[in-house]
Amino acid sequence: MASVSELYDVGWEEMRDKLRKWREDNSRNSEQIVDVGEELISDHASKLGDDVWIIYEQVMIAALDCSRDDLALTCLQELRKQFPDSHRVKRLTGMRLEALERYDEANKHYDAILEDDPTNTAARKRKISILKAQGKNGEAIRELNEYLEQFVGDQEAWHELSELYINEHDYGKAAFCLEELMMTNPHNHLYCEQYAEVKYTQGGLENLELSRKYFSQALRLNNRNMRALFGLYMSASHIAASPKVSAKVKKDNIKYAAWAANQINRAYKVSICKQHSDILKTTSFT
Amino acid sequence: MAPELLLDSNIRLWVVLPIVFITFLVGVIRHYVSILLQSDKKLTLEQVSDSQVLIRSRILRENGKYIPKQSFLMRKFYFNNQEDGFFKKTKRKVVPPSPMTDPSMLTDMMKGNVTNVLPMILIGGWINWTFSGFVTTKVPFPLTLRFKPMLQQGIELLSLDASWVSSASWYFLNVFGLRSMYSLILGQDNGADQSRIMQEQMSGAAMAMPADTNKAFKAEWEALELTDHQWALESVEDDLMGRELDFDGMFSKELPSGIF
Repeated sequence: MASVSELYDVGWEEMRDKLRKWREDNSRNSEQIVDVGEELISDHASKLGDDVWIIYEQVMIAALDCSRDDLALTCLQELRKQFPDSHRVKRLTGMRLEALERYDEANKHYDAILEDDPTNTAARKRKISILKAQGKNGEAIRELNEYLEQFVGDQEAWHELSELYINEHDYGKAAFCLEELMMTNPHNHLYCEQYAEVKYTQGGLENLELSRKYFSQALRLNNRNMRALFGLYMSASHIAASPKVSAKVKKDNIKYAAWAANQINRAYKVSICKQHSDILKTTSFT
Repeated sequence: MAPELLLDSNIRLWVVLPIVFITFLVGVIRHYVSILLQSDKKLTLEQVSDSQVLIRSRILRENGKYIPKQSFLMRKFYFNNQEDGFFKKTKRKVVPPSPMTDPSMLTDMMKGNVTNVLPMILIGGWINWTFSGFVTTKVPFPLTLRFKPMLQQGIELLSLDASWVSSASWYFLNVFGLRSMYSLILGQDNGADQSRIMQEQMSGAAMAMPADTNKAFKAEWEALELTDHQWALESVEDDLMGRELDFDGMFSKELPSGIF
C-alpha cells in the first residue's frame, strides 16, 4: 500500500503541519489522522523533537476511533514511558479501556485521578461519557448537571448537555443550555440556528416567534446559512398559517416568508446558472 | 565647566564590560533558579468554581442582550434574588493569609527574598570591594553635590564632579537597565525582573487574595442589579431584509480532494 507521502508527494514537515492544523481546528477526521500520523511516527519520529508527544496523543485518540488498538497501544506505551505520573496519560489509559468496553476498570482509573486532583475536569467528563456509552442517559444528565454546577464556564459540557436533553425530548432545558452558549459566543451563527430549531420544535406561538427571530439572527451573522434560511421560511409560514394571530402579524409573517422564498430561489438559481455555464465551458472542447 | 577627565581605556575593558556581563548572567541565573524553586500552586475546587461563576455573571451582564428577555430575567433572578440568590446566599470563609500562620506563604516569601534581594546585596558589595578606588563612568546629566557620597563610594576627592560615579553605582544602573534586555531574551514575566518584583511586593502587601471573593460577589451583585435587558434582536428581521443576502462562493465547484 502506498504511503501518504508517496500518494500526495509531501514531506514530513507538511504532514506535521497538517496534523497541527487538525489539532487546532479540533477536527475529528480520525482515519486521515491515523494514516498521516502513523507514517509520521514510524518513519520520522526522531525528527519531530518535542512535538512527537502531542502527536502521539492525537494519533492515539484517532486510533481508538478507528478501532486500531495496536496503534493505540503503541502510542500509549511510548507516552507512559516518557510521562509516568501524568494525569493526562492516565486519562488516555482510561480512554483506551473505554474503547475496549472495560468500563469498570476505566472508572477506577478516573476515580484515582480525581482523588489526587479534585479539580481535574477531563476525568469527570470521561466518567460522564462512560455513562452515555452505556446508554444510561438519565444518569449522564444528572452527573453532567452536577459537573456544570461546579464548572459553569465549560462550553463543551453545556453543548453536550443540550444534546442529551434533545435526545430526551426535554426541549426547554436544551434551550437553556443553548442560551448559555449563545451568551458566551454571540457571533456564532450555528448556536443561534440550533437554538431556533429547538424553539421551533417546542412549538407554540411564542416559541415560533422566537425561533423566527433567531433564524434571522443566524442569517444576519452568516448570510450563507441555508438551514437558517429554510427555518426562517418555515417558521414565518407556520405563524402566518396559525388561526390565532392578528391580521397585522399574519401580514408581516407572509412578507417574511415571501422574502425568504425569494432568497432561496435566488441562491439556487445562482448555483444552477453557474453549474450550467461551467458544463457548457467544459463540453465545448469536445 | 569642570575639566573633562580622560579615563584609561582599560577601565572600559576590565570594569564596565565585566560588570554588565556579571549583572546580566546573574539575572539569567536568577530567572532559572526561580523557575526551579517555584512551588505548585494548587487551586481548590471552590476557587475554580467561584472564578467561573464570576465570569458567567459578567458574561450575563455583557451579552445578556442576545438571549430572550425571559431567560435573562430568570438568570438575573437566580443570581440576585433577595432571599436565595447566589450572590446573596454564598458567603465564603475568608482567612486572610498572614505570613506567619500560612506556611506556604512564608516559604514563598523566603524564596522570593533569597533569589532577589540577597544576590543583589552580595554582588553589589563584592563589586564595591573589587572595583573600588577609581572612577568608572560619567552620567550624562549634571548632579548636585549631595549625590557624591552615595555615588562615589571609595573615591575621596572633594573637587570631583558628582557626575563621575564609581563602579557600584554602575552596577545598580545595570540592574535596572537590563530589565528590557531580560524581557527580550527571557520573554515577559521572567524571574530576573527585579524592579517589577519590588513593585509587586509593595502592592502585594496592600491586597489579600481570598478576601476578594466575598467582595467580588458583592460587586457583581451590584453590577447585575443595574443591568437592563436591551434585546438585540428587536428588529432583526427588518435589518436582515433591508438588503439581499450575499451568496458569494456558497456553492463552489471545487471539492477538497484527499488530505493535502
